[in-house]
Amino acid sequence: MMNVWGSMAQYEAIAWSWEIAVYLFLAGLSSGSTIIGLLVKWNRHERDTYSIWDAMIKAGAITAPVSLILGLILLIVDLGKPFSFYWLFVSYNFNSVMTLGVLFLLIYTPTVIVFMLLVFEQKFVKYRAYILVEWLIDYIKSFHHYSKIIEYFLFATALCIGAYTGFLLCAIYAIPMWNSPILPILFLTSGVSSGIAVNILIGLIFFKSTMSEESVKYLLVLDLRVILTEFPLIGILFIGMGYEGGDSLVAVKDALSTGLWAFIFWFGVIGIGLLLPLLTVIIALKSHVYRVGYIWMNSIVVILGVIMLRYYIIYAGQIYTGQ
Amino acid sequence: MIKKYRMIYDENLCIGCQSCSIACRVENNVSDSFFRLQVRMETHGIFPNLAMQFSRHACVMCQNAPCVSVCPTHASFQTKDGLTHIDERLCISCKYCIVACPYEARFINPHTKAVEKCTFCFDNRVSKEILPACVSICPTEALSFGDLNDKNSTVSQKSHKNYFTFPKEYLRTFPKVALIPHKKGTKS
Repeated sequence: MMNVWGSMAQYEAIAWSWEIAVYLFLAGLSSGSTIIGLLVKWNRHERDTYSIWDAMIKAGAITAPVSLILGLILLIVDLGKPFSFYWLFVSYNFNSVMTLGVLFLLIYTPTVIVFMLLVFEQKFVKYRAYILVEWLIDYIKSFHHYSKIIEYFLFATALCIGAYTGFLLCAIYAIPMWNSPILPILFLTSGVSSGIAVNILIGLIFFKSTMSEESVKYLLVLDLRVILTEFPLIGILFIGMGYEGGDSLVAVKDALSTGLWAFIFWFGVIGIGLLLPLLTVIIALKSHVYRVGYIWMNSIVVILGVIMLRYYIIYAGQIYTGQ
Repeated sequence: MIKKYRMIYDENLCIGCQSCSIACRVENNVSDSFFRLQVRMETHGIFPNLAMQFSRHACVMCQNAPCVSVCPTHASFQTKDGLTHIDERLCISCKYCIVACPYEARFINPHTKAVEKCTFCFDNRVSKEILPACVSICPTEALSFGDLNDKNSTVSQKSHKNYFTFPKEYLRTFPKVALIPHKKGTKS
């Protein structure tokens, strides 16, 4: 209906749409798969060797840069003026979480690419283009005494990337569902969960020969704990909104009870994303058998759940503002 | 001397004629089906105890502007006089300010792709000591604009005589647009 005062389309438009939701997923996945790769390397990897990496470390090393670069491409394409993105590197506003994100990404992106080159050095040596990065790899290898420190540094930047996507939304007090300090923790946690799932899948598909049953079991136990942590975090997000009162209370009631997005939350995020993997992990661990079918299914539903959580937070947040 | 701008919207005097909205479009060349300013109306109460409520939607020029603090490139910036403007050249159109604005005052200009909003007509009028287009056209003087540092200005005098509220005051954004709230009640 056309009002006397004109069209409301501009006020009802969703400013941040699927590109941002998918970017948040991919950045979280990148951070999660790095964290998981490093955890396996520290806790499950017996010898300090260059050649025989565990499949989980390989999967993490490849997933982290690939998903991050895909996400960054989406992020730039989503800009209204994609070719002006270079201003992000020219004019900085240190009050803005987006600028802080740019700075973290400037450190994290090259680091994960180098991590990938180091892990797959044997594979890359074959290609002629390797000479382009050979000096860099050799140079970095000269620091191998500090490898542990560099790994801790990579781990810390991965944590920053995972958490910054939450702070990006958390800084927006106009949107009650985003303006919650629990969001960075929730995004980091679900990012780790997606990291476990994707690393296991990539390991099963590409690096089956170096896949260790013990590492997978270790990750499944970790995934169980992560999923059990996500339940209270999601609960706290909505309970917090409720106790906030005012617009927040209206927003949380609407977001959990009306329309498509409530369905996506209850059926997708909670049902498919959390309850189903909980069930499969418990069955897989309890039966003490390494059943590939369960693990496949578990990983796929976890990934779907994490994507749907990002979609839900992005869309339901902007639609239900309690006004 | 630094100006302390104030725009006052008197909800009691507004008749919802929309001339401010039209004047804004003409003065600032606002693209079709986009708005820097809207005056919406709602009818409250049960017949025969009805009352009409008008509300003005545009940038309120916050002192603590969320759009300025979230902007990653300083494209949204504040002048010394406390007005928030957009540098189209620096704007990468990431839309972070659009989601951050509690007043839904911002949109993407479909031609320049940069973010656009009310400027208080600063470049084209106020800097030349002319009133903003919406204020000058208002037939009932529901809108007034001026410098609070000037004791003789209409806004200074009105601020001594009236009780003001501010849009979404609880957010503590300290808007430069003040409201004289609707006084006529209804039995609902």
